[in-house]
Amino acid sequence: MKALVCETYGEVDDLNYRDLEDPIPGPDDIVVAIKGIGVNFPDGLLVEGKYQFQPECPFAPGSEICGDVIALGSNVSNWAIGDRLISLTPNFGAYAEKIVLPAEIPTPLPDFMTHDLGAALLGATGTAHHALRQRGQLKAGETLVVLGAAGGTGTAAVQIGKAIGAKVIAVCSSDEKLAFAREQGADIGINYNKEDLKAAIKEHTDGRGADVVYDVVGGDAFDICSRAMAWNGRLLVVGFASGRIPELPVNLTLVKGYSVVGVFWGQFTQNEPEAHAANMRELFAWVKDGKVTPVIDNIYPLSKGVDAIKYVTGRHVMGKVIIKPDEEIS
Amino acid sequence: MKALVCEHYGKVDDLVYRDMPNPTAGPGQVLVNIAAIGVNFPDGLLVEGKYQAKPATPFMPGGEFAGTIAALGEGVKGFAVGDKIFGWHTSYGAYAEQVAVAEEDIFKMTPSMSFEQGAALLCATSTSHHALKQRGQLKPGETLVVLGAAGGAGLAAVQIGKAMGAKVIAVCSTDEKLAFALSQGADEGINYTKEDLKSAIKERTEGRGADVVYDAVGGDAFDACSRSMAWNGRLLIVGFASGRIPSLPVNLTLVKGYSVVGVFWGTFTKKQPEDHAANMAELLEWFEGGKVVPVIDKTFTLNDGVKAIQYVTGRNVKGKVVIKP
Repeated sequence: MKALVCETYGEVDDLNYRDLEDPIPGPDDIVVAIKGIGVNFPDGLLVEGKYQFQPECPFAPGSEICGDVIALGSNVSNWAIGDRLISLTPNFGAYAEKIVLPAEIPTPLPDFMTHDLGAALLGATGTAHHALRQRGQLKAGETLVVLGAAGGTGTAAVQIGKAIGAKVIAVCSSDEKLAFAREQGADIGINYNKEDLKAAIKEHTDGRGADVVYDVVGGDAFDICSRAMAWNGRLLVVGFASGRIPELPVNLTLVKGYSVVGVFWGQFTQNEPEAHAANMRELFAWVKDGKVTPVIDNIYPLSKGVDAIKYVTGRHVMGKVIIKPDEEIS
Repeated sequence: MKALVCEHYGKVDDLVYRDMPNPTAGPGQVLVNIAAIGVNFPDGLLVEGKYQAKPATPFMPGGEFAGTIAALGEGVKGFAVGDKIFGWHTSYGAYAEQVAVAEEDIFKMTPSMSFEQGAALLCATSTSHHALKQRGQLKPGETLVVLGAAGGAGLAAVQIGKAMGAKVIAVCSTDEKLAFALSQGADEGINYTKEDLKSAIKERTEGRGADVVYDAVGGDAFDACSRSMAWNGRLLIVGFASGRIPSLPVNLTLVKGYSVVGVFWGTFTKKQPEDHAANMAELLEWFEGGKVVPVIDKTFTLNDGVKAIQYVTGRNVKGKVVIKP
């Protein structure tokens, strides 16, 4: 099979589109023919050796897929050949035509979803869902501030925030991105290149500050939000797309009585499988009702996967980028 | 009346024991003859101008007191002259012989409660209660690590942690303090001057890390705890007795999926009065049941109030320090 392979840690440009051995299932595994691959911001960090995990080279990066079951291990009874599914790929390997997965990890793809939507759903939407539900405990009527609101997971946070019943304030770096976030349901937009972010948050919350902040950006935006939280607020630490990991003077949390809450969705799916399954049921119901709909910005063939990663890490995406095996596109 | 007065922000030594005008009970207020005053770590910071609140001088520091109601202001419904009460003065002024406070800031003492115990129940004990209940959402069977476990707030956290059914690990700077914390119910102890705090927490939690950390210390101890948290853990920021406010690289919270949670009891009592009242009812039950009982380390007279504050800020207290007029 073809795959996009990291031969040594280095530049994203060095990824190599080449043949890899077809995967063989163990007794408790299934093999999936990949139809779509979700591209996520950390995919680039992983290849550059800047992520919290460093798999042994050579490996194919990528951590979420949509596809069909094509082979079963001898102990597997919960899947049949031809079943459609979506899955995280905890040991990476998604940037390929096929993958072997432990049978208990994937989630069946409902009939009303296409493979493309399936590939765009899990990582971004699952992260935002877990962040706002379990970690942020967002309640109807609260104010949610979403940083990077036009990106894949930011868009998901805007839609899920609205599905939960919150007032959603989108924060973006350009008017074009803001308009996109507003189309996704955001009630209010702040262009932080034009407005003072702290003053704007205070103004839009009648001086109270944000109940929940969804932060995939870090850096200066985090520093500002750490001074714009409401009493009992939750500042969700999801990622650091700005490239700078913030340092928080912890007395800020004391004076305003708020929390800084780390979000690690991949770990959540493993540590709390039942809560994850319940989230997926709620998420599919939202998709069916049209409350949550992944927006696909662009689709790349696997052979051009480098371009897909660079497009996402360049921070110009509006919505989600997916990759498809070359023969699925033609 | 006599009072301990801060004439200008500066050293604790500069507090003056002198006459001040007697307060009077305004509408909705009661006038209290103070019998005991609780001494808290921030009292010293307040006088030095290092606290987040800065009242206009001259003022009397101190928030926590117990005593007897001497007079009622207009419209007071829930109390009578002669009632024994304990309370919290939100704008300071407790280091005195009398105080006038709002009716909603005082609580009736239970029959078995001494004035000294009453004066020790609000600030430190209620802070710990609010921290572990509303902020930390501590559950039975979870592991609670208490830094500064022999101090007033720390000791309350040990007792309340046990009352809530947690496994409590006390962290102290000396074996003597540790023995004291263990005598108050802590299940295990760590002397962080002898053991590496991070490895000691990991070892006593079978590698999982702490579910909840109660931190009134800050500094190096916070840094170690920020790397010793369990999945879904809550690191409670209560104070900075070490003198250093920590800076947290926030990716630590992401990798372990834990939370850093600020605790500010004073604001809680104003913003969530119903939760505060429910907490007080629970705390009084625990007190009557012998589960949470303030331990009085030392009692000072009001004219020796400077020594009381210095004793507390010197970080050698085991339990609570009380001043009596």
